[in-house]
Amino acid sequence: MSKNKDYFDRVHIWGAVWNYAALFMMLSVPVCMSLVINSWPSLGIMGKVVATLAPLYWVTGIIEVVTYVPMLGAGGTYLSFVTGNISNLKLPCGLNAMENAKVRPNTEEGEVISTISIAVSSLTTTVVIAVGVIAFAKVFSMAGNNPTFAAAFNNVLPALFGALGASYFAKHWKLGIAPIICGVIVLFISPATGVGVLMFVTIVASLVAALIIYKGLWYDDFKNMKKAKKEKQAE
Amino acid sequence: MENFKETPLMYGVAFMVIAFIFAQSFFFIIKSWKHGKELGIKKETLVNTVTSSILFTVPPAISILVTVFVLAKALGVILPWIRLTVIGNLAYETVAAETALNNLGGSLSKEITDPGQFSTVVWAMTIGSVFPLTFLPIVCKKLQKKIGGAISKNEKTAKLGDVLSAAAFIGIISAFIARAINGCTAITEPVLDAAGNEVLNEAGERVTQKVITESAGLLSILTLIFAILIMLLIIFLCRKVKFLEKFEPFATPLAMFAAMGCAVIFSKVLPENLASFTWYEIGGVL
Repeated sequence: MSKNKDYFDRVHIWGAVWNYAALFMMLSVPVCMSLVINSWPSLGIMGKVVATLAPLYWVTGIIEVVTYVPMLGAGGTYLSFVTGNISNLKLPCGLNAMENAKVRPNTEEGEVISTISIAVSSLTTTVVIAVGVIAFAKVFSMAGNNPTFAAAFNNVLPALFGALGASYFAKHWKLGIAPIICGVIVLFISPATGVGVLMFVTIVASLVAALIIYKGLWYDDFKNMKKAKKEKQAE
Repeated sequence: MENFKETPLMYGVAFMVIAFIFAQSFFFIIKSWKHGKELGIKKETLVNTVTSSILFTVPPAISILVTVFVLAKALGVILPWIRLTVIGNLAYETVAAETALNNLGGSLSKEITDPGQFSTVVWAMTIGSVFPLTFLPIVCKKLQKKIGGAISKNEKTAKLGDVLSAAAFIGIISAFIARAINGCTAITEPVLDAAGNEVLNEAGERVTQKVITESAGLLSILTLIFAILIMLLIIFLCRKVKFLEKFEPFATPLAMFAAMGCAVIFSKVLPENLASFTWYEIGGVL
């Protein structure tokens, strides 16, 4: 047991060091790029952009940490939050590896298998993207500059979010109705509403709809919690 | 400055990121491998974990590569490459870039040729996504002990977490779907007189107007509808036909490219006034 505790503690220390090194490395990317192209964003515009993105990304960031950390294991968590693509790749990959090795999450064996799996997945993704970019960048660039493809590239966003949306709506179709209707109404009233403001409206609409539709998942527990609190206060 | 997005120095930045990911991943593999041996996990199990994880990762990694190229039209290839290698997620990267460009009157539909716009996008993507790294080490240990235990005990809590996480993501997607249905992009420009000089009001301030640079229209709606239909068809086929099962990880990029192909076909087949129809006139004033 003490050895077990030692190992998890060590993983958290390694993870924290790599995590802050990654944070430093990631912040150095925009610094390096701005130096290379000799252009820095205006503070006014960045203020506006951050004010729009922060509530969305940062709230999502908190939700992701709370949701994924208990499932990924310590090492897997630190790796996944640096390399991303958690829900569509790292999490299923880690869970699949633990199932194949017949080990359980939150055990020392599970920790080892999950970490190896997620680290290998991160390496594989990095290699596939790097090789693909170096091998096909020129071909893609030639196609992108062809006027025949203008209609395709002008409609990248509807194509992308239509496809992404369909896969989510196939699983949770009920959740898509309220946010889309709310978004369309907002744009009907103010057609040039920025995507950040619009997203705030659609996310709130979607979360409220989810809490109403899936009331059964939380309402009873919430009521019991309130009741217990009242009883405790009465005592 | 034409190809400032893909200079050798930019490639250097990308390789720095790759080197970091390699170092971190190998560090954790070596430490875990050693500990696995100490625990008595068979070498065969560890090797199988590596092999199955590679096989599991290749298809989604190819679909991520495809999305790098989709973003590359506007941003060049290096930035999407880096962004999708670290904390990469197509939806979030697109949202950050589009939000930054919206504030500058641009859009991801067009190639960025202004270094100022490009650097704003780079910073927006980074600041938006690094937030979890600032507090992860502080909360990770506590969360694993407390929530990990609670979730494994309470199935309802786990399901509610899944639903709320899906709802938040659907909320993001819905904003873009709504924009493809009836949105537009406008930039604020000064009003000019016939001589091309800025018009001032009585207080001596510049008079401005909102000029439309992009608008949803028939083609964006058709592309959206076809993307949804093609995606649903691909998912249906992958689940019904056993042979096609292995193509499911490619469903999103396949549907996306097919829908972009449909946009090209519609632009050629439809009468020009229909193909170019938008709800708001491009160049008009809002």
